[in-house]
Amino acid sequence: MNKIFFAIATTVVMAGCSSKNLDLTNPNKITTETFWKNEADVQSAFAATYGLFKNVDGGYWGVRGVELSNGRGDDFFIRNDVSYLYQLSTFTNTPDNAAANNVFNISYRAIFRANQILENIDKVSGLDDTKKKQYIAEAKFLRGLNYYILAVNFGAVPLRTTVPVATADYFIPVSAEPEIWAQVIKDFTEAAVDLPLSYSATDLGRATKGAALGFLGKSYVYLKDWPNAETTLKQLTVAPFTYQLMSNYGDNFTVANDNNIESLFEIQLADVGGTNPWAGENANESLGVTTAQEFAPSEVSGWFEVSPTDKLFNEFQKEKTTTNELDPRMYATLMWDYPGATFYNKPFSDFSLQFGYQSMYKKYQNYTKDNELTGSNGGSYTSNINEKALRYADVLLLLSEAVTMQSRPADAYPYITMVRNRAQLPALTAGLDETLMMAEIRHQRMLEFAREGQRFYDLKRWGLLQQELTNSDKVGKQFYVVNKHDYFPIPQDEINSNSKAEQNSYWK
Amino acid sequence: MTNSHGVSLSPRAWCKPTMLLLFLFSFLMADAQKKISGKITDVDNKEPVFGASVQVKGTAKGAMTDDKGAFTIDAAKGSTLVISSMEYETVEVKVDEASSYNITLKRSVSGLNEVVVIGYGTVKRKDLTGAIASLKGADIKTEGVSNVGRALQGKLPGVTVESAGGDPGSGTRILIRGVGTFNNADPLYIVDGVQVANINNVAPADIESMDILKDASAAAIYGSRAANGVVLVTTKSGKPGKTVIQFNANLGFQKILKKYDVLNASEWATVSNAAHDAAGLPRLAIAANPSQLGKGTDWQDAIYRTAPIQQYYLGVSGGGETAKYSMSGQYTDQDGIVDVTGYKRYGVRVKSEATKGRLKIGETVLMTRERWIRMPAGWGGQGGNPVGSATKMIPVFNIYDSTALGGYSGASGPVVNVANPVAQLHLEDISYELTSILANAFAEVSILPNLKYKFNVGYTNSFGNTDDYQRRYVVGGLFAHSTNDLSQTKERTNLVLLENTLNYNKDFGKHSLQVLAGYAYQRLKYNYWLASKTNLPDGIKELDAASGAATVGGNSTESVLLSQLGRVIYSYDNRYLLTASFRRDGSSRFGKANRYGNFPSVAVGWNLSNEKFFHADPKVLSSLKIRGSYGVLGNQEIGDYQYSAAIASNINYVIGTAQQKWFGAIQTAFASPNIKWENTETINAGIDAGFLDGKLNMSADYFTKRTTDVLLEVPIPGSAGSSENPTVNAGILQNKGFELGINYGSKVGVLNYSVYGTFSSIKNKVIELGTGSQQIFGGQPTHHGASTTLTEAGGQVSAFYLIKAEGIFQSQDEVNAYKDKNGKVIQPNASAGDIKFLDANGDGSISNSDRVNCGSPFPKFEYGLGANLSAFNFDLNIFMQGTSGNKIYNGLRQDLEGMNLEFNYSRATLNAWTPTNHSNIPRAVINDPNFNTQSSSRFLESGSYFRLKTLQIGYTIPESLNNKFKITSMRAYISADNLFTITNYSGYNPDIGRSGSILDRGVDFGHVAYPLARVVSLGIQLSL
Repeated sequence: MNKIFFAIATTVVMAGCSSKNLDLTNPNKITTETFWKNEADVQSAFAATYGLFKNVDGGYWGVRGVELSNGRGDDFFIRNDVSYLYQLSTFTNTPDNAAANNVFNISYRAIFRANQILENIDKVSGLDDTKKKQYIAEAKFLRGLNYYILAVNFGAVPLRTTVPVATADYFIPVSAEPEIWAQVIKDFTEAAVDLPLSYSATDLGRATKGAALGFLGKSYVYLKDWPNAETTLKQLTVAPFTYQLMSNYGDNFTVANDNNIESLFEIQLADVGGTNPWAGENANESLGVTTAQEFAPSEVSGWFEVSPTDKLFNEFQKEKTTTNELDPRMYATLMWDYPGATFYNKPFSDFSLQFGYQSMYKKYQNYTKDNELTGSNGGSYTSNINEKALRYADVLLLLSEAVTMQSRPADAYPYITMVRNRAQLPALTAGLDETLMMAEIRHQRMLEFAREGQRFYDLKRWGLLQQELTNSDKVGKQFYVVNKHDYFPIPQDEINSNSKAEQNSYWK
Repeated sequence: MTNSHGVSLSPRAWCKPTMLLLFLFSFLMADAQKKISGKITDVDNKEPVFGASVQVKGTAKGAMTDDKGAFTIDAAKGSTLVISSMEYETVEVKVDEASSYNITLKRSVSGLNEVVVIGYGTVKRKDLTGAIASLKGADIKTEGVSNVGRALQGKLPGVTVESAGGDPGSGTRILIRGVGTFNNADPLYIVDGVQVANINNVAPADIESMDILKDASAAAIYGSRAANGVVLVTTKSGKPGKTVIQFNANLGFQKILKKYDVLNASEWATVSNAAHDAAGLPRLAIAANPSQLGKGTDWQDAIYRTAPIQQYYLGVSGGGETAKYSMSGQYTDQDGIVDVTGYKRYGVRVKSEATKGRLKIGETVLMTRERWIRMPAGWGGQGGNPVGSATKMIPVFNIYDSTALGGYSGASGPVVNVANPVAQLHLEDISYELTSILANAFAEVSILPNLKYKFNVGYTNSFGNTDDYQRRYVVGGLFAHSTNDLSQTKERTNLVLLENTLNYNKDFGKHSLQVLAGYAYQRLKYNYWLASKTNLPDGIKELDAASGAATVGGNSTESVLLSQLGRVIYSYDNRYLLTASFRRDGSSRFGKANRYGNFPSVAVGWNLSNEKFFHADPKVLSSLKIRGSYGVLGNQEIGDYQYSAAIASNINYVIGTAQQKWFGAIQTAFASPNIKWENTETINAGIDAGFLDGKLNMSADYFTKRTTDVLLEVPIPGSAGSSENPTVNAGILQNKGFELGINYGSKVGVLNYSVYGTFSSIKNKVIELGTGSQQIFGGQPTHHGASTTLTEAGGQVSAFYLIKAEGIFQSQDEVNAYKDKNGKVIQPNASAGDIKFLDANGDGSISNSDRVNCGSPFPKFEYGLGANLSAFNFDLNIFMQGTSGNKIYNGLRQDLEGMNLEFNYSRATLNAWTPTNHSNIPRAVINDPNFNTQSSSRFLESGSYFRLKTLQIGYTIPESLNNKFKITSMRAYISADNLFTITNYSGYNPDIGRSGSILDRGVDFGHVAYPLARVVSLGIQLSL
């Protein structure tokens, strides 16, 4: 009898709940096995790749990216608030610099995502050949642009064109800077072939053939490959392309003129989605940027993190317009104490200049509103003015440079004149030689692209960093070390976690 | 079956226990018996023994003595009665013709008969083979204001308890035998058989015992999750006989132990001006005329207060021969020492047990509601929380501005955006309410005299609710918020546990055998919801009233653990002891191939003092036992679903002329398809000895713990492009340690006293990590500071790894003379008064490659010392505790001594180096070209401390008065917690209690701290 009890009890007790109970699937997310099935999957993969450009921590056109790309210029001051920004702007940055590290990491996140699109596009059903080619071209454009960002800022970096499969694939050495540029040229070249000239209203804002050619031409300029730069950029001045300068320079930096005729590529920003710009990559993230709020004066709820230097303020006043006025670009770029100056619907006298400099940045600020506190959708500190990544004015000035550098300064006149005319400047003296034409191009680039992340990189490729920093009122200029500060060091985190990565020799 | 929250238990999950029970009932039978009565007294003082257990040997039948020591029981002639009681030696009496027995018991000398809870059962301490530390309710009772975790601090060898900050209602962080994992190192908490997340909501007065299973053999029956040790909490049961009513009340006051010594307004302006002058940069306008600024605002005074705390407890317990119960209610109301913050807890507990024939049914239900009023973590600025802001806020600024929206003033101008801490506290309301239910029910059937079947159901549900309401405000020039916003999050965690166990106990001759076999199912579910809206009308705090943008979110996770378990405990002649156990766990957190883990253990013990050859005089050596064990435990404390590569959604962008949201989704991180269990192998050797007739007892253990396949979030290169680091099995960790516990109790005249001490020393070492040269950096000390700790093979876990500061350059000549072997000046940006750093790698410059090992955040040893004295009706309890040999990185000092950022500074900066004042504080220079402020050994301090943790004096009213007042006993006491601490550490508290990653251990992130309080309280304990 007892044995029976024991047997029964044991059987019942040990007869398990089945091990099927252990088969649980993630209720929150689909997996890679169920993704990459249709065109909608590809579309959403692109959104996730483009979106990184505006990333608040390290997107190249997000607030930290803008501070990083402008911060080292002789035209730009960053105040001692966020210490890593102050350090990079005063050439006292270390390999731990958070802004540089985030730009590095975010660029590689975008490359990882672009590589995923390239590797999985074949699994997607229902794509015709043209569509597929177009998507491949678009992914290559995105990968190329991210390598461009890495090349100009870091030089030699790891080169990844595939998705890591095994753990060992995470660790790869850095490739020399020319190899990175070769990839940039290859990606932009291939992208330009299959990208469309334009998009429908619903898809406006994605990479076009013009964007790919523009960045390709710009890359040739960085490589000092003047003939290729010229032929590439020249294509953009003729049909089928229809790029033109906006008649009013300042219109480039207002919400009303997003995606205008002067824009080859811009970062799409709007106060839609969530309401929190610091939420990370999720539904709560607001899809604008906080740059305008961080740059705005304290009187309109800004954090006045940056300021133009007086070198820039003075450079604008070197040449007057045909009507003997100040350059209209100065009025669009800066705010200072001039008769009738109003900013955020307040007289300039309501504001105070905090750093001893004579002006503040106006470009990309929402100065027609009362303050920078709330975006249109209630998102905190959110600005929705699209950041222009490449303007036609840049194409024209790069083209001027490409021909001038081939000792044909006369050929630069038509292009540089368009830029000057828009600024209502008098006709350029005829017969400038190569040196004088280059000086004029440099002067125009400094004015045209202030706060657009070009100045430091222009000076670097012209070999003028030392000279121009020295003759400026840039804080921290005494800490600039030739060669060393031309690049950011490979992030310490990358060196720490990647035994194959070697630090830039100037930073060892 | 459906409970009130709608969680259904499927029939499969129940494993058909109900049917089994019904089946078994029908076979319950009874033998011919006779009624026996008796009285049990103490052999020495002749007092009746209350609550002794009387059991008919080999059956489930038992009775308890009442308060007169009397019992009755049915037993057959020839059977044996076993009489046992916790403090007495067990006696066996043969039942003969007589129907009444007078039995005397002899007090056990050394607590060897004390019952120790071991998980799915109990054993007597003398039969124990594993390393288990126990704390009885009586030891907890004498704590003043406390929670359960704090009562453990320093009292048990091998158990490290840190406060988790001074935040009211904050818990404690418990580490058992060091760090064996990089993941959640919390032990497994089991309250009355059910796993819980923590034990902070259990009223200390409800605790009967706490047993800490430290080695693998003790914990192995819990298999997975037991690798960090197990804390078994048993709540009080009723005792048959008289009904006992217990009432405790306690009222105390808390005050901050230590503030940071920062500058007043005119002092700050002086230092700030010097720093700007040195950098050649314009002075701040607000710092003009230092002499006219006066003291300014003392921001720390503005947020700290003396805060009351009150605690009440009411318990009722009792029962009869077949049923017993214990019920209690608790209430705690604690204000925080930081203005506005506070904590409240209400709780009820019911525990009862009923026996009918072969069947025993019982349950525990514990329900608590806790409510915290918390301070904001920060306002997006760089001050941190109000505690951090109060040290950094420049004293020139004012607290209030009646003209500003919201009513507060604050920082403005080109200074770091540190928020007004008073405004932070009053303009943002953060409350967190947690309702926790723990229910456990069991039914136990004696199938055969020696065989019991037990079915146990455990259920916990915790429901957390956070409301964050932010008012609209303009605070100074740097902080503004234009709308009233409300964000509400709700979280539910729900655990279902089903256990079927069979227990077989048999003594034959000199052999004693306990066998356990069982099967368990456990499911953990978590749900999260978020809803927030902007733009509420002033004074309204409901989402429906908001007109602005809304955000919603939610997710859930689930995990299941299926387990089979078995254990044999065998002893021969009370001399040789053997425990062997085995558990097999299947976890849903791993992929199909790696789901199951096997966790065996074996332990042996030898009671040398029971050997015939053992002739020691009990007055000298009264007992001696040696123990040894080996076992393997598991750990699966990682997130769910890590083995599959997921697509992350809502990574959105903007598109189109209409500039609409463009939905994004892609794989953002790498999966770990081959991830498997982390295993910890423990070898333990122990010795227990009693001396001087059991007055002096000691227990010592030596162990090695080796953790393989450590589950680790391995930092992978950023260039791989992943947003997160994958969790992989990557490494081997080793812990070696020694633990000692000693107590001595005796009596001199009217003075009864006992003293006790604990000592533990643990050393960890990383044997293998990641890809071989893997280095894991952690421990961010300030808002922007570089990491301070490094974990790598060959070193200790999160060892401090810093650039070495080597004093101050006294002249420019010294700067110029500091060259490398090639004659290159190592610190070209330095001037006299700057810090000289060690060029450890000799490359001629100072960089992160010059970091060197500077010590460990783990103490070389920890200790506790306590004494309980009583004479006449007074008692004195004193407890001291400390650590030695650990380092702390003082992050707040790095900020406050920096003089490189525009906020307030530490008083030490008044002594900054100048050509005429050669001090050890570097010169004031706001652009800090030499990086004097970088993370370096300059901010690393000794973390050793010695603390008088509790001092309590009590008075118990004389027994003669008890009858007069019709009470059983009454004690009143005055108690002081954290009365003093001896330490060289300059931060708030050397017991820093930073929660979060183990890699941040020992890094005092003063940015978001909550300082510890000194507490003085008065209380009474009344029994009716």
